[in-house]
Amino acid sequence: MIKVSGVSKTFKSYHSPADRLKEKIFRKKYHREITALQNVSFEVKEGKTLGVVGQNGAGKSTLLKILSGVLLPDEGSIKVDGKITGLLELGTGFDHELTGLENIFMNGTFLGMDKDEIERKKDDIINFTELGEFIYDPIKTYSSGMLMRLAFSIAMHAEPKCFLVDEALSVGDAYFQQKCMRKILEFKNDGGSIIFVSHDMNAVKTICDSAILLDHGHIISSGDPKDIIDYYHGIILSKSHMGNTEVIVNEVIDDHTGHKNPSASTGEVKLLSFKVLNSKNEEILHIESEQVVKVIYQVKALKELSDPHFGLHVRNNLGLSVFETNTYCSGIKTFTLKKGQVAELTWEFLFSLSAGDYSFSVGVANKGYGRDAFEEYLLMAHDIEVLKVIPNSNAIVYSGVFNMKPKIKIQERLGKE
Amino acid sequence: MNIGLILELAKRDITEKYSGSTLGALWNFIYPLVDIFIFTVIFANLMGSRLPGSSSVYAYGFYLTSGVIAWNAFSNTVSRTATVYLDKKHIITKVKVDLSSFPLYIAISESITFVVTMGVFLFLLLISGYGVKPVILFVPLIYLVQQLFAYSLGFFIGIFVVFIRDLREIVRIVLQFWFWFTPIVYVYDILPEYVKKIMVYNPAFTFIHAYHSVFIYEQIPDLEAILYLFLLSFAILLCAGFTFKKLEKDVRDFI
Repeated sequence: MIKVSGVSKTFKSYHSPADRLKEKIFRKKYHREITALQNVSFEVKEGKTLGVVGQNGAGKSTLLKILSGVLLPDEGSIKVDGKITGLLELGTGFDHELTGLENIFMNGTFLGMDKDEIERKKDDIINFTELGEFIYDPIKTYSSGMLMRLAFSIAMHAEPKCFLVDEALSVGDAYFQQKCMRKILEFKNDGGSIIFVSHDMNAVKTICDSAILLDHGHIISSGDPKDIIDYYHGIILSKSHMGNTEVIVNEVIDDHTGHKNPSASTGEVKLLSFKVLNSKNEEILHIESEQVVKVIYQVKALKELSDPHFGLHVRNNLGLSVFETNTYCSGIKTFTLKKGQVAELTWEFLFSLSAGDYSFSVGVANKGYGRDAFEEYLLMAHDIEVLKVIPNSNAIVYSGVFNMKPKIKIQERLGKE
Repeated sequence: MNIGLILELAKRDITEKYSGSTLGALWNFIYPLVDIFIFTVIFANLMGSRLPGSSSVYAYGFYLTSGVIAWNAFSNTVSRTATVYLDKKHIITKVKVDLSSFPLYIAISESITFVVTMGVFLFLLLISGYGVKPVILFVPLIYLVQQLFAYSLGFFIGIFVVFIRDLREIVRIVLQFWFWFTPIVYVYDILPEYVKKIMVYNPAFTFIHAYHSVFIYEQIPDLEAILYLFLLSFAILLCAGFTFKKLEKDVRDFI
C-alpha cells in the first residue's frame, strides 16, 4: 500500500543557481515560482493499480521523482510499507562503462539489496532480461530496449511493495512489453501496488483500477480510468483551441445507466438529440449481433461553420476503441452550416460485433486538413448511449472483437510420406 | 546510511577509472609508486638533496614522500567530495540515495590508495636501512583525523558547489596554493619568522608535520595540535550537517 497525502512541490526558477544562495543570505526574492504539484493526495491499495494521466508539464514526472525519493516534497508525506522501485526513464543510475552484470550489482545495491540477495537473484534477473552473453558486455553497447529490459528486471527483483512505471516501458519490443506486462500483473496479484504513468490511454484503461488526472499540479479528477481519460480528452480539445475559446467540460448523466458522461465542447455547437435505432426505426437498448443498427443525431451550429465534419466512435466496455471514423475521413462532402442551422447525421452499419456492451461517442470538428486532422475541434461527447449486443443464434460461434465471417475450406489431400 | 552501498561505490571507484585497460585498478597504485620512485631515487641520488641536520642521503626523499602521500589523500578527498554531487549526477537524480553519507565512498577509496602507498613507503624505509620507530603507530590516528577534516571540508564545500559551480575550479586553485603554503616540499625551518607565526593556523601543517615527526624526526607528534584539528573538523562537520539539512531540498532540485 502506498499513501500520499497533501504533497506539494514548488520549483523556484533562478537565473543562476547562485541566486538561490543569495536569496538565503540576503532574504530577498530572486526567483519565479513554478508550481509542480499542489496538495496531491491519493492512495493505492495492495494489488491495485493507479493510472496517472495528464499533459506534458502537468506534474507527472515530478510526482514520480518524489515517489522514488529523488526529490523531496515541500509539504505532505508519502507512506509506503516497503520499497518503491520502478522503471523511470532509461537505465536508472546505470554506469555505462560497466558490464550488464556489474550494473546488476551496482543498481541492485542502490535499490537496497545486499550482496547475498543479489548473488541469489542474479540468475533470475539475467534470465528475465534474455540478454544472454550480452550481460558480460559494457552497457554502453546496449540498445535502449536492452537497457530497459535490464532496468525492469532489476527493479522487479528488488521485491518492491510499490512499482512505478512510466513511458520507459514503451521502448521495448512488443514481445518484451507483453512479458513485462505479465510480470507486472503477477506482481499485482501478489499484492503489489502499481503507479502507472502513461500517455497510452488504452494501456491505462486495461491495466488500471483507478486513475487520477493531473493538470498544472492539481488532481482535477479521480476515479474510474475510463471517465478520467474522457475528461483528459476534453482538456486536449480545449488545448487545440489555443485557449481562444472557453471549453466547458460538463458531466451529463445518462438516463439509462445513471452513469456520468463527461463531454467537452467549445460552446460553438450543440448536440440536440441522439438515437440508436434498429432496421425498423425503433429505438433500442440491445440488439442481436449481425443486425443493422442506425445512429441518428442532430447537431446545431451556434456560429457559422465553414467546413464541419461529424464523427462517431464505438467503444467496448473496457473503453477500447472498436471503430471510429468521421465524415472527413470517409470522404463525405458536407456543407457550410450557418449560425442556428441544424445538421442531422444518419449512420447505418452492420453490427457484427461480439456480444457485450458498446458505447457511442460523437465528435464534431471544423476545417479538415491532411489525412485525418482538423483545425478546430468543437465537441467531444463520450458514451452518450450504450448498446448491448447479444449473440446471434444464427451466426457462427466465435470470440474476439467482431465476426470476420471467414470462408473456411477443408479438403483431403494425398500426403507424401 | 548503507555501508554496503558505500563499500560497493568505493570498489567501483577504484576499478572503474581504469576499466578497459589491461592493468585496470593497478594503475591507481602505479602512479603513487612512480612518485615515490622519483622522490627517493632521483631527488636523493641524482640531485643530492639533503635534509638539514640529517646525514642520510634518503632523508629528503622520505621527507617529501611522507608529506606528498598524505597530501594527495587529503587534497583528492577534499576536491572530489566537493564535486561529488555534480560528478555523480546521473546516479543521484535517478535513485534515492542518502546524500550526506554518499561521498564517504571517496574517503574510503582514497584511503585504500593511501594504505597501499604507505605500505610501499614503509618497505622502502626498511630496505634502505633508514628504519622505522614504534612512533609510526601514530599514523592511523593522524590519518583518521586528517580524513575527517578532509571529508567535513569537502562535504561543506560540496553543498555550495551545487549552487556556485565556479567553486569547483576555485577549490582546485586554493588547494594548489595550500600545497605550497604547507611545508611538504621545503622544510619548516627555512620559513621567515612571520610566516612561521601564521603556520600554526594552517590545519594541513598540523597533520603533515605530524607525519614528518613520526617518520623523519622519530618523535611523538604534537597531540595537542591534532586534538585541535579534530575539534575543528568536528565543528565543520556539524556546520556542514546543519547547512545540508537546511538546503537538502534545494540541492536535490538544483543538481
